[in-house]
Amino acid sequence: MKLLFRGFNAILYKEFLVVLRDPLTLFFMFFPPLIEMIAFGYALDNDVKHMAMVVLNEDRTMESRQLIDRFVNTQTFRVAGEVQSVEELAAAIRRGKAYVGLQIPPNFTRDLHAGRNAQVQVLIDGSSSTIAASALNTALGVSFRESVFRLLGETGRRELPVEVRPQILYNPAMRSPNFFVPGVIGVVLQIATTFATAMSLVRERERGTLEQLLVSPLSRWGLMLGKLVPYLCIGIVMATSLIAIMNWLFHVPIAGSLTALFAAIVVYIFCLLSLGLLVSTRAQNQIQALQMSMVFIMPSVFFSGFIFPRETMPWIFYAIGSLLPTTYFIELARAVILRGASLADFWHHLVILAGMGMALFALCALRFRKKIG
Amino acid sequence: MELNQHCLRNLAEWITLEAVLPVVHLTLEDCLSSSESGLVFSAMPSESMIVCENLTKRFGQFTAVDHVSFSVAKGSIFGFLGPNGSGKSTVIRMLCGLLEPSDGRATISGHDVARETDRIKSLIGYMSQKFSLYDELTVHENLMFYGRLYGLSGAGLLQRRDELVALAHLEPYLHRRAGLLSGGWRQRLAMVCALVHKPSVLFLDEPTAGIDPVARRELWDLLFEFSSMGMTLFVTTHYMDEAERCSHVGYIYMSKLVVCGEPDDLKQLPVVNPAGTKRLDVTCDHVTVGLQAVRRLPGVRTATVFGQSMHLLVEESISEQFIRERLDGVGIHQTDIRPIAPSLEDVFVALTNRNNGDGK
Repeated sequence: MKLLFRGFNAILYKEFLVVLRDPLTLFFMFFPPLIEMIAFGYALDNDVKHMAMVVLNEDRTMESRQLIDRFVNTQTFRVAGEVQSVEELAAAIRRGKAYVGLQIPPNFTRDLHAGRNAQVQVLIDGSSSTIAASALNTALGVSFRESVFRLLGETGRRELPVEVRPQILYNPAMRSPNFFVPGVIGVVLQIATTFATAMSLVRERERGTLEQLLVSPLSRWGLMLGKLVPYLCIGIVMATSLIAIMNWLFHVPIAGSLTALFAAIVVYIFCLLSLGLLVSTRAQNQIQALQMSMVFIMPSVFFSGFIFPRETMPWIFYAIGSLLPTTYFIELARAVILRGASLADFWHHLVILAGMGMALFALCALRFRKKIG
Repeated sequence: MELNQHCLRNLAEWITLEAVLPVVHLTLEDCLSSSESGLVFSAMPSESMIVCENLTKRFGQFTAVDHVSFSVAKGSIFGFLGPNGSGKSTVIRMLCGLLEPSDGRATISGHDVARETDRIKSLIGYMSQKFSLYDELTVHENLMFYGRLYGLSGAGLLQRRDELVALAHLEPYLHRRAGLLSGGWRQRLAMVCALVHKPSVLFLDEPTAGIDPVARRELWDLLFEFSSMGMTLFVTTHYMDEAERCSHVGYIYMSKLVVCGEPDDLKQLPVVNPAGTKRLDVTCDHVTVGLQAVRRLPGVRTATVFGQSMHLLVEESISEQFIRERLDGVGIHQTDIRPIAPSLEDVFVALTNRNNGDGK
């Protein structure tokens, strides 16, 4: 064991000193992830609130104004302006001044009181599908409620004939940050840690210090582990601060145990660092290392279930996602943070992650040739 | 013994046999006598520390090292010379086990460098061409790192650090970052870092490149100190004055070892001293003007400027008076002419020209 990891303590000593001596690198390891976390956390928000709506009220009665209030009271819409013609209504949407146009025709109140079908037109900008879907649902909901309550008034019944009472578990307010932020932690950690180790061995190659290490009796396992452990420590500190931000800035509560969460984090970071090391055994210079790391990072953003649910992906992308450590970490993180799952429920994800990490680490140690050229 | 045999083989390959044969004996005898007279530092001069046999390295179509054979006696200072890109570093890297030879073999203290790489590692120290220490670490930390790398720890590590610091006189810089040291001190630090495990052979790839003359001299004083402890040194360099300090030199040109031997023997080679010629040192004013005049003279084979003087290789028949008169003709009146022996530079220039001529 001692022989297998020969030189580990020397590399560990040196690597810690080099990392801590270089505040600029340390700063660029820490700072972007924190900014990315905050930016992602705020930007990735599907909760549509107060979207701009222009109103063409040709009826101008109390009833029509009540209907507009109903729309506004859902919190989904706000009145961004009133227009005088259908053309102006369409133009406001086309110019991007509003997402939604509400047209109440002149005979709305008359039809309503006459018991005829009173029609209202809602124009929705479909160019952003999430926003359009939300607007559509809310608009339909408003009309449905209006109709139902009017019918109830006519029949004299006090309760709805059928009522579905939905209860949303784990994220009752259906807040987007609860869904996205654990994923952001996974992606941001990957970017920071993979680059760090991908660079570290390449830098030694470029500076010529690698040659000096290769003529020493240092073992490749010792070299790899010595390179990995300092960054594992830094990664854990980084993950802790990201989780703190999640909890305090985005108010995402941690339902499960912190132990389970940190077990997942440690295994995940180990996996990512091994991936970075693998890149650095291959890359000849820092530019190559950067490009090769990007190859792993881009799919992790798209196919890991971070933004888009994996279940709806074509099988090929689903399969790619199954190969990425980030996929498993995000599932683990969401399970622990949101659903309060214990490791007993999700141990197989952890085992897969650990297996991946071990395999990657062994691969880079075995791939690393103690020769140059 | 082995050293000389290898040298002879190379000489025979590169210099036409007829011309060399008489010299071969002369070189052999000289080598033997010189080693007895203490020119070779080790007590047992015939014991080879490094042996290369037809060592070859190809990178694709390019042959970087082409059937190089030589041996280095234990305790000697072997100077390995050659122009940039001639294959010096490639030979060193193969000897250190960093590169796999394409052909041929090399041994250090009897251990094959390609197969017994781990055994070799405890025998050799290597100082690469690039400054290969960690700029962010202090002198002390660099030494501690290399000590740990070679398995030292605790009191033993500290003791070795103190020894090395004393050896290189690094005491005043102990807690300075390596990146802030001047060139000479950086090289000293790199050198003692390579010595942390007390190797028997130290490979130095251009240790004095880019450092000032005083630091260069001090570095060589240090090398002689190592040598006196019985260490074998293998040094590549561009500087001829450094080559003159080596007990043995090898000259590699276009991937092939052209010559190998003791500096004094090499200066006796017939290719350096063609029959019927002599070497003269001409000291005068306006050397560059004089050079143009002298070069046009019949019977002057080569003329090179050395500071305030020129070195000429002329035919025996040319008298000093003849040269003096010619220089007088171009307005140079103060002329001092004396015969000189060839320098190592003359040796390498002659061999390089000869090989270029052969190639055509």
